Order: sequence, then structure tokens, then C-alpha cells
Amino acid sequence: MTTCYAFDLDGTLTSIELLPRIARELGIEREMAYLTRLTMDGVLDFEDSMRLRCACLRAAPIESVRAIVADAPVDPQLAEFIHERRDRCAIVTGNLDFWISPLVERFGCAVYSSRARITDGALDGVESVLHKGEAVLAFRQKFDRVVVVGDGVNDIPMFEVADLGVACGIVHPPAPRLVQAANFVVNQGDALCRLLKAL
Amino acid sequence: MSVVESAVIAAAGLGSRLGLGKPKCLLEFGGKSILQHQLWLLRSVPDVRVVVGFEETLVMDAVRRLRPDAIIVRNAAYRTTTTLDSYNLGAMGVRGNCLFLDGDITFGPAHFARFLDTCRPDRALIGVTALKTQDAVHIGVVDGQATWFSRERRAPHEWANLAWIPPSWLNKPAGESVFERLAGYLPQATCEVESYEVDTAADYAIAEPRALEIFREID
Repeated sequence: MTTCYAFDLDGTLTSIELLPRIARELGIEREMAYLTRLTMDGVLDFEDSMRLRCACLRAAPIESVRAIVADAPVDPQLAEFIHERRDRCAIVTGNLDFWISPLVERFGCAVYSSRARITDGALDGVESVLHKGEAVLAFRQKFDRVVVVGDGVNDIPMFEVADLGVACGIVHPPAPRLVQAANFVVNQGDALCRLLKAL
Repeated sequence: MSVVESAVIAAAGLGSRLGLGKPKCLLEFGGKSILQHQLWLLRSVPDVRVVVGFEETLVMDAVRRLRPDAIIVRNAAYRTTTTLDSYNLGAMGVRGNCLFLDGDITFGPAHFARFLDTCRPDRALIGVTALKTQDAVHIGVVDGQATWFSRERRAPHEWANLAWIPPSWLNKPAGESVFERLAGYLPQATCEVESYEVDTAADYAIAEPRALEIFREID
């Protein structure tokens, strides 16, 4: 049986949440936190929230954002796990491709993300917002089984189409609604790697 | 050094006979829970998995605090399934023998350590204890070998709900209990342990004095 693995990026592979970090660097942390809370509470759906958050960050110089993302710390054990199985792993993130490319290239695996519209080197808007469930379905086609790993409400669509779901509490406790859709909950990177290797 | 690499604690059950309103693994003696006690006993085991169900958030929060590298396994169907199902979920992917224990049992630390030391990679080991609980699974022991399990037939020993076995032994048919599955593999070696299961108020009364002593030893 061949197994593939799909990972959320923010707070799962990275040891920090990217959008709050970018917002802090740009001095709009409070606004971003408010949008995030509305999303977590279900007031805003993920796509609207993503478009609004990107609108907030539109004025930011792209290279500054890319530099912040590129420096995001990554759990070394998880990076090694993916590196050793790069043809069976995918990163599935709602973040914009243009922002995250310097970071995700380090993993060397498939990447599914939202797409930015760039005009004259500046972020002009969101071309498309990723549906995580559809991305996992596309990725898993040539495998017998898919294991997904995530931490937030926006990861629920991945869990709904997966064979096994791991809710990740490494950076912060996983969203309670995601836990309800999960088979496993882990709180440390080594526990996650141990579980994934066993499965 | 013990050979035990993986352990599964079944902590999903309702514990309805005790009427606690919380999972039995969170039952406290002297301010420390049975879960804390068991995780302390398993401190040398690298891969610990806790199966949660009833009031899972309470148990998950406790595991995160007490043993953050433990793997939490959800048995979402805990109301309609048995410990056998929890064990099967908990041992997913474990290769070789695995230690299984119920989450409502207090063990004497010296006996538990001896059990861990007695485990061998390719040999099963069944934990037995002196008969003391109201709803015991009696176990026949002949020359150190477990030869039968029964709820009706009486014996000086009961099963301690502790076993070092291959996870494949627990592959169900549904509805069977763990000891019914184990019965198909007898005879097997036993190791006597001091243990106290708490299913009823009478069990609690028996367990409490010794549990208070044992739990004081937890770091």
C-alpha cells in the first residue's frame, strides 16, 4: 500500500504562524488578528478572509514579505521526514504562491497554494484561493492512502477527504472543530514524525 | 533496560458505574490522577499513545501537560465500542509487541517495573493480580502460564488489564472483549503485579489507601 502525506504550512511545518508574523513586521498585527478571529469564529469564510487579509498586506513590499516568510523557522525533523519522502509529500496551504515560494522550495515536494496576481512586481490581488480538499484529492490520485496534517479550521476540508488526519498542536492547540475531524492529536514535532513513520 | 518501545493506554471509556461524570483516568488520589501515575510508570517508554473518547478534551489537556510527546488517538465511537476497539486504534502502525493497559488501573511501581523488565521482544506476557475487584475477569495460572479467562469460574487471580502482546492478536471480530481475544492464544506466560482497578465504589474503597501511598512517589 502506498501512502502519501499532505501538510498544512502555517503553524504545522513552520514553528510560527506566517500571516501574524508578516502583519507584525508591517505594524498591522491588530487588524490581522481581528480578521483571524472572525474567521476562526466562523463569521468570515476562509476565502473572504484570505482576500481581506491579502488586501491588508497589498501595500507591503513583496520582497519584504518573501524575506520574512523565507526566514520562518521549520521543525527540522519534519523537514527531514518530507525530504526523505519528497515524491510522496505535498504542502497544501492557503497562502499565496508568490510569498511562500522561497520557503516551500526548501522542502522539495509538491506544493498546492492560493495564487497571487502580480502587476509590475507588486501584489495586485488574489487570483485564486486554494480549496484544500480539492488539492488533496488531486494529489492522492496515484496513491492508495493519504494522511493529512493540519492545525486550523481551514484544514477541515483536507481531513474530510483523507484516510487519516493528524491534528497538530505544536505551535498552539489545534482548532477544536478540526480535532473533531481528526484520528490523532500530537503536540510535539517528534511525536508527529514518530506517528507518521509508524503509519 | 526494557524492550518496551510502544504502550497504549485505553482511556476512552465512560466509567458509568462509578458515576464520576469525568473519565476514570482523571480520578485523583492525593491530588494526582491515575493518568499522571500511568504516564510516570511509562516514563522510559518512548512511544506512548493515549486513546481518548468520553470527555476527550479534559484527557487531551492532561496528556499535553503531563507527557507532551505522547500521541493522542481518538476513539470517536467510544459510546458504542469497547476497549478492544480502543486498543486496535491505539496500536495502529506498531510493529512487534506492544504494551496495553487500561486507563483506570493503579499499579504498584516496583511490580510494574518488573513487568517491563520481564517483557521480551517475541514473547507475550500477561499481567495477573490477586483477586480483589467486584467484576473480575478470573484467570487460571498453572506453572506461571495463563490457561483460561472467565467471568464466572473463580480463581485466586484476576487479569490485571495489562498485556505485552502483538497488536494483531486484537484484530477483532467486533463485540468481543480483550480477554476473549487473548483466550484464543493461551497458554501464555504471566507476571504477577500489584494492581487496583476502580470500576465501582467498593473497588474505590479497596484501592484508595494504597493508591494514596503509591501516588506520593510520583515526581
